[in-house]
Amino acid sequence: MMKILTPTLMLIPLTWLSSFSHLWRPTLSYSFIISTLSLTWIKNMSETGWTSLGLYMATDTLSTPLIILTCWLLPLMILASQDHMKTESQTRQRLYITLLIFLQLFLISAFSSTELIMFYIMFEATLIPTLMIITRWGNQLERLSAGTYLLFYTLISSLPLLVALLMIQTNTGSLSLTSAQFYFSLIPQHNFLWLACFLAFLVKMPLYGLHLWLPKAHVEAPIAGSMILAAVLLKLGGYGMTRISTIVDPISKNMTYPFITLALWGVIMTGLVCLQQMDLKSLIAYSSVGHMGLVVGGVLTQTSWGYSGALILMIAHGLTSSALFCLANINYERTHSRIMYLTRGLQIIFPLMAIWWLSFTLANLALPPLPNMMGELTIIVCMFNWSWWTIIFTGLGTLITAAYSLHMFTTTQRGALPPHITSLTPMNIKEHLLIILHLLPLLLLILKPEIITCWSS
Amino acid sequence: MLTRLSRFGLSLPRTLVGPPARFVSQSKPNENVGSTAMTELRPGQPMTGHEEVSEYTKNPDYYGFSSDPDVDKSNMKLAFFFGVSMALVLGSTFVAYIPDYGMREWARREAERLIVQREKAGLPLMDENYYDPSKIILPPPKEE
Repeated sequence: MMKILTPTLMLIPLTWLSSFSHLWRPTLSYSFIISTLSLTWIKNMSETGWTSLGLYMATDTLSTPLIILTCWLLPLMILASQDHMKTESQTRQRLYITLLIFLQLFLISAFSSTELIMFYIMFEATLIPTLMIITRWGNQLERLSAGTYLLFYTLISSLPLLVALLMIQTNTGSLSLTSAQFYFSLIPQHNFLWLACFLAFLVKMPLYGLHLWLPKAHVEAPIAGSMILAAVLLKLGGYGMTRISTIVDPISKNMTYPFITLALWGVIMTGLVCLQQMDLKSLIAYSSVGHMGLVVGGVLTQTSWGYSGALILMIAHGLTSSALFCLANINYERTHSRIMYLTRGLQIIFPLMAIWWLSFTLANLALPPLPNMMGELTIIVCMFNWSWWTIIFTGLGTLITAAYSLHMFTTTQRGALPPHITSLTPMNIKEHLLIILHLLPLLLLILKPEIITCWSS
Repeated sequence: MLTRLSRFGLSLPRTLVGPPARFVSQSKPNENVGSTAMTELRPGQPMTGHEEVSEYTKNPDYYGFSSDPDVDKSNMKLAFFFGVSMALVLGSTFVAYIPDYGMREWARREAERLIVQREKAGLPLMDENYYDPSKIILPPPKEE
């Protein structure tokens, strides 16, 4: 564990001590080295599932893909933010990178902690850098209200979780995940306990109805904020739900009905909201809410197929939505507008970019060989097995997802170029590299899917 | 005058032609009118030239990493080396050749071996007692 955490920590002095003209070079290279090193966690040879087991930290087949995704996102965020940060002062550039590194540190600690209270602390700690990134580096004044929404939605919903954890600690004397199956019978099972344990994660996911903070945060955040929010921070919710559902297991059978219903209803509703969006980033944000609705459904059915499908969809969606935000940002940096009707027909100017848009649109609507499809299909089958009525919602949801994804593609790429777009800066190698680094892992995952499917409780 | 001449296609040296801003008349700033600019919110952002000036005019081989051509090129090479050659190529080779992920193959081999062994001995494939009950020593039941 320390072989990743220590280098990540040492990235901070590197950021502050390296010369300003070469600030982005060593941070980028070292963060790539860290993400390569993190792949060693995939080697899982233990029968219990837990590897690199320390006193408080360990990884298993659920947390490993998410940690690797976190480590992979840091260099990509650094790569994506360079143009955005070009005009900023030296201290602010260093501070920005430091915040991203802190975010990675907190996220790795959250995903790998075996004590629930440490997970809770790290879960909350990720809020601070996110909030600072959004409210300081956002583009418009509305970023302040977006920050307030993010902070208060997440904080208010997670207070009950703290109380619930303290109660479990008082009753059982332990909050360790590794021994949860031995002590969960000691926990007084109560509906409120279930609600308290799940509410924080349902808001973080976010569940439809508790999602209002997410589109605001995404629209106002700078590119790195949007990327990490869509790719990893939402997945903290899914991860937390999967972990905590092993502890409050027996009661949740009845409690899950309203939430699964809401999640599936949310898939359709957010899809319809996407269809009428004008704002490109807002559309991608709502599409994230829809996909996370499927993850919520998958986790709450509490079957191994559900968990497995949720994990696959989380990883695949992490890469896809992050790439879509990058693409939206690349458009924004040239046209200075997120309004889809002002930035249409770009295929004429950027033909290669249109290929990236097409690839990730198809990934977003879950085209067959991609892991997005594996995840969605696993969850849909699992939900169908749970109750066959769900096929109406999941089927309609998939249809609308395809509709709005193609709507997004045709609006931004196809058609005539609007007359006000006269000259745009060409795409550069860095932006192509950024997109390729999202696309290749997604494609490579198809060749070895067991590293993201292998989890079942 | 000189600027007007240049409109007719007459090329003039730049030093002779002043910037067109010279002809723009500006009213004096009125202190009673409040400013709508939100300078307090985004201080310290130096406006270094117009944003739309393409980097490609300064550096035709612009890769997107830095406005300094040398730093730009070396950063590009580093990013490709660490991002593609190391992380993607080496990383995926490592992942592709990991032996026996999650010990599934081992479990399968072990199961097949056990089945053969138990069938030879004439035992049922699964025993309801995973551990031999005679080996488990329970504490004596408490006397109520």
